[in-house]
Parts: sequence; structure tokens; C-alpha cells
Amino acid sequence: MQESILVYRSHLYLKLATILTGASVVAYLWHRPLGVPNGGTWLGYTLGTIAALIMVWLAWFGVRKRRYGVGKLMLEDWLSAHVYFGLALGVIATLHAGFQIGWNIHAVVYVLVMLVIVSGSVGVYFYVRFPRILSENRRGMTLDIMLGQIAEIDREMRQLVLTLDDATNKAILLATEETAVGETLFGQISGHDPHCATTRAREFVERAETAGDDGRRRQILTRLVRKEELLVRLRRDVQLRALLKLWLFAHVPFSVASMVALFIHIVTVFYYW
Amino acid sequence: MKCLFKLITRKSRGGVSMKDARADSEIVAAGRGNDCQLHLPDPRVLLRHAEFTLRSDDIYLEPSPGSDVRLNGALTQMSKVAAGDKIRVGPYELILEAPTPEARLVMSVELVQPLGDDLQSFIGRSKTQVGAVGLSMRAWSWALALLVAVLTFGVPWVLSLFTEPPPVAILLNTREQRAPAAPTELWTSGGISSAHKFFGDSCEACHQTPFVPVQDGVCLSCHNGVQHHADPNLFPFASFADDSCQSCHKEHQGNRTVALSNQSFCADCHANLPDQAPDSTLRPASDFGDNHPDFRPTVVTDSALQIASRERAMSDTPPPVEDSSLDFPHDKHLRSGGVKHPDRGNVQLGCADCHEIEAGGSYMLPLSFDRHCHQCHALKFDTFLADRELLHGRPEDMFKQVTDVYGAVAMRGGYEEPEAPALIRRRPGTQLTPEEKKEALDWAGAKANTIINGRFGRGLCDGCHQLFESPASAGQTGAGWGVEPVTAVNRWFPKAKFSHGSHRDVECGTCHEARLSTASSDVIMPGIKTCQACHGGESAQDRVPSTCIFCHGFHDSDLPPMREPQKAAAHEEYWLRSTLMAFRSQP
Repeated sequence: MQESILVYRSHLYLKLATILTGASVVAYLWHRPLGVPNGGTWLGYTLGTIAALIMVWLAWFGVRKRRYGVGKLMLEDWLSAHVYFGLALGVIATLHAGFQIGWNIHAVVYVLVMLVIVSGSVGVYFYVRFPRILSENRRGMTLDIMLGQIAEIDREMRQLVLTLDDATNKAILLATEETAVGETLFGQISGHDPHCATTRAREFVERAETAGDDGRRRQILTRLVRKEELLVRLRRDVQLRALLKLWLFAHVPFSVASMVALFIHIVTVFYYW
Repeated sequence: MKCLFKLITRKSRGGVSMKDARADSEIVAAGRGNDCQLHLPDPRVLLRHAEFTLRSDDIYLEPSPGSDVRLNGALTQMSKVAAGDKIRVGPYELILEAPTPEARLVMSVELVQPLGDDLQSFIGRSKTQVGAVGLSMRAWSWALALLVAVLTFGVPWVLSLFTEPPPVAILLNTREQRAPAAPTELWTSGGISSAHKFFGDSCEACHQTPFVPVQDGVCLSCHNGVQHHADPNLFPFASFADDSCQSCHKEHQGNRTVALSNQSFCADCHANLPDQAPDSTLRPASDFGDNHPDFRPTVVTDSALQIASRERAMSDTPPPVEDSSLDFPHDKHLRSGGVKHPDRGNVQLGCADCHEIEAGGSYMLPLSFDRHCHQCHALKFDTFLADRELLHGRPEDMFKQVTDVYGAVAMRGGYEEPEAPALIRRRPGTQLTPEEKKEALDWAGAKANTIINGRFGRGLCDGCHQLFESPASAGQTGAGWGVEPVTAVNRWFPKAKFSHGSHRDVECGTCHEARLSTASSDVIMPGIKTCQACHGGESAQDRVPSTCIFCHGFHDSDLPPMREPQKAAAHEEYWLRSTLMAFRSQP
């Protein structure tokens, strides 16, 4: 699920979506409605019906993707078409509205749909870009290996520091007991911890006067630096994987809300026909 | 002091192993440091955490500064300890036992809080999955969907059950009351047109039945009697009988009128009208700038028979000619040297001296002799009767007036004209004999006849009017001729709207070449070229874009109503009546 969804089947779904969008734009430019262009002309109703069908079909992807091996089309077909018809929806919905927006339920649908499209576009960008960055960042390690290495460094450091002074011992103890990754949502997204105990310990050890045992101090410092470097990559890993999921926390709820708003939009339009 | 430390290690399977360690020192130190007698190798222990000393056969515990040592669960400073006391040094628990002969200080030492697994504790602290930070897509989806449903549907719908706006008739007729904001306004598909704003918040005023389009009756409850577009008998296909009002008049399009201005709306039929309606006398038109026939003024072709026609266009040769039966040369009145005014000498006349815009600002007020001609053209007919003027109006009245004037002069006497008989010039008030009366009246009749048919009667009329000969009827004095009735056209283009007020900054002569007109038969109206200098069609770029309804109306006020007039709904009629009553009863 990388660039392949965008070029899937030689851009088949890009071509189909472009044809639909182009036809809608041509019809809009050709149409001379009575009054101003809006959803109430015959073209407005037609574009609205197309847009609503696309919306329902796009939302169905949320159900379809959980059913493996059902239907003739591959999931890649669905996803590729989902992306391109989702983008086409942005144009068709705008033409349906006749470029009008107001403080009403109809604008609520429009704004929600646009938020879904924007969040989806962000998601596509993440999916195209992040897997490569993720694997580069991991340098062949798995998450478990990185976690294990940090734990091993912690164990070594605690042994090394036992005979050093209490202050250094305390700093290392904190570095091993308090360092954490991705504790909060903001922490996960930002990809770094400004109060990282390991960083503070490293700064302390760098500053501290050598109390006789310079060799051990250097050994500890080497491990602190190594641990910090691992933590940077670990946090970046968590950040990228969080972002890969987080756009869905906008995309899916806005989709669900837009389906509800679409239903209310259609009902109220015909309630006050 | 000799010491015995019983080092206890608990195994994961539940077994316990014990190992003894001995020491002998004045001061027994417990700590992480290698020099401590009680070596406690854990990072949570200080290098030198606490000391035990023997003073006068008592053992004292002295924690190091900054360390936390608990004696039987309580933080302690220097204290005396005895067998049975439990001392916590970091994660270690030391339990003092009774001294033995070999050792004064005996205690068991156990690591009761071992350091956890580094990996497990690190993983436990960290959150490497976004789902771990408490976000729930499902909850968030439900919440947002519910919020949208409640705010955009639930709340407006529930509130609408408790809101009843006043009827339109009330809103139309009261200035104080305004429709309260409708809770369902959130469902509106766009702003209300300017004319309907005053009841725009009352959705049910027009949308009377849910899921049913707005019916014509709603429109007709105010707009009763809107006329046909074309005569439904002659052009039934142009009667729009099957179309609803809202198929053309689109509401909810914001601050604009619901009357359409689209050129295509008219051009669809009028571009090739001869094909669509062969019987129509209208010529095809589709764009004011590119495809619109020249103007054909409606002119009077026979004033006496009151016949008007619109045969010729302004650009035709010969041009349209009007027979108003009036003789009025514009050029003489507007000549640059001015005209002679009886009191003010030479005055330069302008258009506005005669042509005044009506109060509405569109058309010109009708001309009248009294207001526009009389100042210069006073109808004096006798220098010896300087205060008398001929009646302007019906010739018969004028004939009678002159006859009466001279009859009265003959009866009164005192008429100073030298040629008049002495009887007429006699001192006023002198009594006449019957014979003298007859003689005087004979003179009066003859004199009236002379005046009516002379220079100051017929001659004056002939100056502006066309006269005709008519045999005198019995008993009528001087009625051997008459004045053709004047048929002055006030609007030469009756099917086109025009506002002089909107064009007030344009010189009159730009459109009306009055200075060059020598006869009143000239139709001094502009042709289409004049208007096209400033106005173009709907899509004009360098002209005022002017669609059909810029000048023409759709519903023809000369035709019958399009729809059967509707009776106002019973409750609206009631409200309307009670409102009007309320107004009347106001002081």
C-alpha cells in the first residue's frame, strides 16, 4: 500500500475519476440555469445525486476493507478508486453547491465532506511517504530490538554507576526509571520529549566533576549517548506510526458525521421543497 | 563490634537460600560502596546509606544525610535499635536479632523490592501505539455524528414544534411585528429574496405541506391577478398554463429579486419567433446588442379617426410620421437666438421649459396649453378688450364665449373702438329701447363673427392647429369651421420601460434631435443605435449589460390574469381584517 495505489492498473481509476470530473465541469459551464447556479436546478440535482452516491460508496469502503476476499475487485482496486473518486467528489460537490456556502445544514455537509477529503489526502500523503522513512529510521531493527537495546543499556549503566558517587548514581537511576516514549498524544506526534530523563542524565554526567573514576564515567556517557540516539529513532518511529493512524481519527469520524449530515441535508431539502 | 549478616535470597520457585557474612568494625556502614561492612549492591542505595554504632552497650542507627531510612515503618533519624526492629534501607529490609556470643550485631538482610525487568518496565512506561493514548475512533465518530444530528436536525425540529410565526398578512400590514427567527432557518437553502424578507423567517408561510413543493396558491395569496405573457387564445403555447410560479421565479437565491433577468429565458422563444408563432407581429430578438430589431414607435397615423400604427422603424426611409394635427416646429422654439417673450424680451428656451419629468422619475408629464404655451401665446382677440382671451379647448365653447362677450359689450355700451356705432360706444349704463337693443345685438353678432373668422379667431387657431370646414348648424354662430382634435402620444414605445430619471445626466439632444425638427409630424425618438451606444446584451463587456427585462415586462398588464384569482385563506383573511380594524381604531 505505497505508491502502488496511486498508479494502480495504469491509473485506471484516476482516468475514470477525471472523466467524471471533467464531464461535470463541462456540464456546469455549459448549463445556463434560471437565476444563479445552485443545487436546485436539474443539473444541481444531477450533480447532487452523483455526489451523494459517491459519498455512500466511499463510506462503504470502511465496511469493504474489513471483508477480505469478498467480491471480484481487489482491495487495491477499492482503495485506488476510493482515493480518486474521493478527490472527484470535492469538485462535484462544489459544482453541486454552485460555489455557494452559507450558515446552514447544507454547508455543514459540504464542510464535513471537505474535511474528510483533506484528511484523506493527508493520509494518502502519509502512506506514500512514511513507509520508506520508517524503514530508513529503523535501520533494519524491529521495534522490539530497539526496546531491548535500550533496556540492556539501562542494565549496564546501573552496574557501572554503582561505585560512582550518589548524585551520578541518582541521575542514572532516574534515566533508567523515568525515560519513556510516547506517553501522551502530543508526545507521540511531536516525536521528542523535552524533559527526557536520559538527556538530563547525559547533561549531568557531562557536567559532573570526575571523582577519580574517569573510565567508568566515560563508559556511562557512551551508553547515555547511544541510548539517546536510540530514543530519537524510537520516538520518530512512534511519531510516524502515530501519524499514519491519526489522520484516520479525523477521516473516519468526519465521514460518519458527513453521512448523517448528508441524510439530514436530503431530508430537509425535500421537507421544505 | 562483631557482626553477623544473614543474607536471605528468595528464589522464584519459593525456596529461600541463606548465606552468612561476618564483619568486625567500630562503625558498621551499610551502603552501595565497596568499603561498607554491609554491602548492599543496588543503585537505590547510597554509597554509604546508614551506620550502626555501639555506645554503652546499645546499638544506634544513624542514617546518612539525604538518605531515607525507616525504622519499623517510620522515617527515622539517629535512634537506638534493638532485636526485633525492622529497618528499611532502600529496597533492603534489615531485621535485628538477639546478639549471640560471637556477634553483637546480628541481623537478617533481604532485598524485598528487587529492581524490575528493565525491558518490561520501559515498555510499561512507554506508549508506542497511538491507540494507547486513549483515543477511540468509534467513540469520537459516534460523538461527532450525534452532535451533527442533534444540532442540525434535533434542536431545530423540536424548537419548531413550539414556534408559530404570525401569518404573512399580519407581517405585511403591521410595521411593529416581525417574524421571529425560525429554528428551522438552519435548513434554508439560501437567502430570501429582498421582497420576501419580511416573512422570510416563516418557512411555513410558503412551505405549507412537508415534502410537497410550494404551490401557486401561496404566491397568488399576495400576487393575485398576475397577467398572462401572451394572449392565451392566440398563443396558447405561450400561456405557461402547465408551469408553476416557482418554475420561473426562483426563491432562496439571496439578495436579489425572484424575477428572472436571464436573457436566454426570453431568447429561447423570441430568437426565432416567426417559426414559433407565425401569427405574431413581433420580430425576432435574442440580444440587445447583437440581435434586436430597430424600434418601431407607435404613432398616430390619423388624428381625426384616432388610428395609431407601428409600421415603420426609426431607421426606415421614409421615417415614421405622426399626425397629431398639431403644428409645432421644435426648431423655431429652440433656435439659438432665442424666442420673443411678451414680458421678458428674448428668452432661450430649453427642453425642460415644456417637458417635465413626472414625480416617479420615468416619463414626461403631458403637455398643456395653459402651462406650456400660454405665456407666449396668449389668445387675446380685441385690443379694446385687453383682459379677455379666447377659451382654449372645444371650439364651440370659444364661439359661444366670443358671441357672449360681444353681446354683453353691446348691452353695456362703452366699447371704445372708433369704428363701432355710437350706440355701442355710448356711455355705459344708458337704458336702451327695444329697437336699440336689437340694433346692438345685430352689431354684436356681426362683430363676433368677424372676430371668430378673422385674424384673432380662426387665424390664431390656425397658427397651431389643423382646421376643417364644417357647415354651420342652425343657431350656432360662426361655426363654419372646426379644429381637428389633437392626439398627442405620450409614449411612443408603450411596451418598453424607460426612466428619464436614470438618464438625467445625459443631454436631451443626445437621444432627441429636437433642434433639427421642423414639423410636429417628426417622431423625435431615438432609434436602437442610440441606445446601443451605451447598452449591450447580457454578456456585453464594454456596454451596460442589459437583458430583455431591462426594458420589457414578462407579464403583460393588458392581458387577463394567468391564474384564477385566489381567495385568501380563511385565517389570513381573518387576521388581515382584524389588523386593519386595529389600525382604523388607532387615534
